Amino acid sequence: MSTAGNKQETSSGKRLFWRSLEQKADPQAQHEEAKASDVVKQTISHDELFTLRRRNFLGLSGAMAALVGVEGCVRRPVENIMPYADMPEYINPGVPLHYATATQRNGEALGLVVTTFEGRPTKIEGNPDHPTSLGATDLLAQAGILELYDPERSHAPTHKGVAASFADFDAFVATKLAELQKNGGSGLRVLAQPTNSPTFVRMRAALLAKLPQARVHTYAPVSQSQVLESTRIAFGQPTSVLHDFSQAKVVVALDSDFMMTEPGSVRSARQFASARDMESASGTMNRLYAVEPLFSVTGSNADHRLRLPAQDIARYARALAAELISAHGVQLGAIAPAVQGVATDGIPEHWLKAVASDLAANTGRSLVVAGARQPAAVHALVHALNRALGNAGKTVTYGEALDPTEADNFASIAALASDMAAGKVDTLVILGGNPAHDAPADLHFGDALAKVGTSIHVSSHDEETAALTTWHLPRAHELETWGDLQASTGHYTVQQPMLAPLWGGRSDIEVLGQLAGEPAWRGHDLVQATVTGRGINGELAWRQLLHKGVAEQTFARVLGALEVRDGEVAGALRKLTDAPALSASNLEVVFAADAKMFDGRYANSTWLLELPDPQTRITWDNAALIGPSTAKELGLKSGDMVRLSKDGASVDIVTWVQPGQAPNSIGLTLGWGRKKAGSNGNGHGFDVYPLRTTAAPHFTAGVAVQKLGVTYPLSQVQEHDSMEGRPLAIDATLSEYKEKPNFPEFKSPDPQFAPLWKMQDYSKGNQWGMNVDLNTCNGCNACVIACQAENNVPVVGKEQVARGRSMHWFRIDRYYVGDNEDTPEVAFQPVGCQHCEEAPCENVCPVAATSHSPEGLNDIAYNRCIGTRYCMNNCPYKVRRFNFLNFNQDIPETLQMQKNPNVTVRFRGVVEKCTYCVQRIQKAKSTAKQEGRHWLRDGEVVSACQQVCPTQAITFGDINNPKSVVSTKRRTDRNYALLAEVGARPRTRFLGKIRNPNPEMKS
Amino acid sequence: MQIFPRSLNYLPLVAALGVAVLGGGVTTGIWYYFSPKNTQVGYAPEQPIHYSHKLHAGELGMDCRYCHANIERSQEAMIPPTQACMGCHAVVKKDSPKLAALRDSWKTGKPVEWVRVHRVADYVFFDHSVHLAAGVGCVSCHGRIDQMDVVRQDQPLNMVWCLECHRNPNPNLRPKDQITNMTWKPSAEEATQLAEVKLRGPQHCSGCHR
Repeated sequence: MSTAGNKQETSSGKRLFWRSLEQKADPQAQHEEAKASDVVKQTISHDELFTLRRRNFLGLSGAMAALVGVEGCVRRPVENIMPYADMPEYINPGVPLHYATATQRNGEALGLVVTTFEGRPTKIEGNPDHPTSLGATDLLAQAGILELYDPERSHAPTHKGVAASFADFDAFVATKLAELQKNGGSGLRVLAQPTNSPTFVRMRAALLAKLPQARVHTYAPVSQSQVLESTRIAFGQPTSVLHDFSQAKVVVALDSDFMMTEPGSVRSARQFASARDMESASGTMNRLYAVEPLFSVTGSNADHRLRLPAQDIARYARALAAELISAHGVQLGAIAPAVQGVATDGIPEHWLKAVASDLAANTGRSLVVAGARQPAAVHALVHALNRALGNAGKTVTYGEALDPTEADNFASIAALASDMAAGKVDTLVILGGNPAHDAPADLHFGDALAKVGTSIHVSSHDEETAALTTWHLPRAHELETWGDLQASTGHYTVQQPMLAPLWGGRSDIEVLGQLAGEPAWRGHDLVQATVTGRGINGELAWRQLLHKGVAEQTFARVLGALEVRDGEVAGALRKLTDAPALSASNLEVVFAADAKMFDGRYANSTWLLELPDPQTRITWDNAALIGPSTAKELGLKSGDMVRLSKDGASVDIVTWVQPGQAPNSIGLTLGWGRKKAGSNGNGHGFDVYPLRTTAAPHFTAGVAVQKLGVTYPLSQVQEHDSMEGRPLAIDATLSEYKEKPNFPEFKSPDPQFAPLWKMQDYSKGNQWGMNVDLNTCNGCNACVIACQAENNVPVVGKEQVARGRSMHWFRIDRYYVGDNEDTPEVAFQPVGCQHCEEAPCENVCPVAATSHSPEGLNDIAYNRCIGTRYCMNNCPYKVRRFNFLNFNQDIPETLQMQKNPNVTVRFRGVVEKCTYCVQRIQKAKSTAKQEGRHWLRDGEVVSACQQVCPTQAITFGDINNPKSVVSTKRRTDRNYALLAEVGARPRTRFLGKIRNPNPEMKS
Repeated sequence: MQIFPRSLNYLPLVAALGVAVLGGGVTTGIWYYFSPKNTQVGYAPEQPIHYSHKLHAGELGMDCRYCHANIERSQEAMIPPTQACMGCHAVVKKDSPKLAALRDSWKTGKPVEWVRVHRVADYVFFDHSVHLAAGVGCVSCHGRIDQMDVVRQDQPLNMVWCLECHRNPNPNLRPKDQITNMTWKPSAEEATQLAEVKLRGPQHCSGCHR
């Protein structure tokens, strides 16, 4: 990112860290308050509704005193204990059971282990035995548990909007099937999402065999269609593409957010981090170049980042290939002429020369990846480049694609919509998905639905599409039903139900099996048949498969390094047309999968709604992301409403000035602005699907921007808990690190004054500590949701967030580094309670509600806290949170079921904060004592944030044990304490961030 | 000229009365707070089935762990499922009218709704298994269950009471094979051995509050 002319230092020579554009312009100004008051003014305040006047207050307190008196004299309410009548096998009341399963994420399987208490799932973790999760998960998987308990999921089938029963539906299917069998199923269409479930594929084939005239269409708003198409071009067959980032020294990401929204992100992030983990200054480190329009999580972690509009990425890819051919003699055969003579406007020369020489110097150890947004021709060129650079078979391998139909994603739904409009579709079955909302706007899918004889929609919520279909069936959650998934690595997993469907509900395979006329169409039978078909026979093998969560043998044929069909790739590249240059009057919009909502399917999850976006730090909304220089040219500020229009379609959306956004390119994230997502998701953010068309579903130029002259309040936490310009996230380049290995110490020196009192002796017993490696933390925010799920952290709502009352115990601060607003670097810093040995919060508590444990934990007793909030004021790290309102009162029963039974559900008026997952520490101690041990093994206690972290940036354990992983980390030279100079002696330590810039890039 | 109105003459009286009422209130409050009435010692609610520990654990001599089977492996002491009761009562006293509710539960699959006797506050996380592993016997907290026809709360179960033992657990310790023995008394040798055990329960907040 240290591009030419981009000064990273100010005139005073100091590296500039800033959290928002406003703070950078005027570090002293209290924009936070100004911004907060905006939102508060424009929304109805809960507090105002219940303002207490003095007289009311006196009246109420009198009544309260009287009630306390009465309550004290009567018996506590009778509480019942309900034992099982017939206790299921393996249940030990009070001790959780763990089940292995998997979740489908963007065409990839993510192996999970689910914790259940007496049949009640409460927490999701990664399955360490599964190759795509390796024990970690992502934030969407963490939020899956809330999705399961969402009280607004569909509760019953509906027929023409009237509640019906599954028996009615079964009767309907029976008659319909008899009818369909007479004409071979003509007029029957099934619309499904791309799948990696072998049983689904089997059932789909069974349906087509039974009813040969029927057709199955595949569509998802975010898909891998162009990747599959590219493999069809390059190799002559659709294949899956499997990267190995751990072996790559140099990675070039072309508009690819492989750490966040691309398939297999957990595995990719782990591998990328493993090649970046620096134990000492003598270690080696990979280098990431990112070329992208939006500031993605991957781009934030890049050593060099070039912001380029999405339409120019293809140009860059070709120019890079040309450079590799001409300067380094890389053999691209017949492709060579197709990449020559590309205009290089907007592409700095060193971005071709230095990147090409870096790639050429690391043949077999480099990797070029492209994002799902880029056209198939770019992907095909990337396959050719990886082949020519000797990477194929080493850092990238290819395997048999399980569901090749995904390649036709947009064509498939377009064909369906036109047949529907022409009245050729008699019966339409929609399995999952919400096409009336998220299909390309030019298809008018919702209108076309009206011309379908009978439509059946199977979906988790009564959403936009459900309102337009004849039948709506509740779709069972992945934790409620039998299913199976195959990972891109070929590993096979059976999904097993944790509990019976809360509100009935059927899975996709069950509905498909029913339509295919399978006599045993229940999920369990279908999956078992698939398993047997795969040669896993017998009860023992079946149980082992369920137990381990992944089959011993793999099932995808590994195709290794495939020959690239140069001629076909060249042909595809020649079809790429160079679009006219972008300008303020010819803007581009780029559609991106949202880090939280993805394509809109998670829109009703309060955890995800309230989670600050990793980059913009906006909660409860999305925004049109515009780069600072483009915004200036257009006269826009953050918060201005604009109308984006093209070809008669338009979207009104709030703008957000986003540093690092490509010039003349506007970033739009999908999945927001739902109208029928549920009461949490409705009306939050802005729906951008109306601008998306079949012709240009990924990015499109020629968009006009019209300023509407009104503003919209956004709640974002970017400036909350600001630490006033001190050196917090400390970073250095690799060469600086080699020169001065203990660089963080210079910036965060230990205090030189004597303590005020006798220091506590922490030399005995377990002493808990945490280490966070800023070098491998990629800012994905999975830990924030994991902490929320583990510790019963409440959601407070948009207005409360604007008031600075966000409750997350663990937050990820995002700092921009550098003087140039358009091309800043990024540093992420996760911050929770630091568990200071000399904790400033403890000294000011008037009731000793917070005090220190002999094991170095900063404890808090909620029942003792009286809510003075002195501790919050005195905390230098701003990690304490206050329950301003009773966020846990009157929550629906199903949401109560999610709560971790080993953590107190807090009431109004108490302070809370990270406890280092003390419930897990106590659990481990209890187990040790049951086994007669008085000491704990290293790794026996794993905090929730540590467990979820895809990059293993967080380590936790006993710092008194010199052999523990956390002790080893603390001894590395990059180790430093946050704000060490205040003398709080925090137990959480950070490892300084290392950047690995290419010296040639300075040019 | 009168500065103060006449009614102020009553001020001393009102003040004295106020102090008396307030003082009395505070005294009553403190007395009540520490009295067994507040800690509910002796609470013995009526149960849906007249299950007698005196009969089962006392006279028949059944071990506590026959029914509370998970006690050494879980924080919660399980109330046995109907299934466990039916293990015997499908044969023994199988037509007794007193067991109608039990047979109903077995037939319908609906749980017997026992009334909770021993209750600590929701913010307290008591772990049975750890206490047993340390050698604290059932009788220390639950009293002579084997003599109770109707189970009643024997100890106050408040924080002072917990901390007393956490600070000095030795008087309540016993060999692990005597955990469920209600009448165990240490021999002189055992007593000296147990007095030397250096075991302390946690006395910091997160030991019990999370």
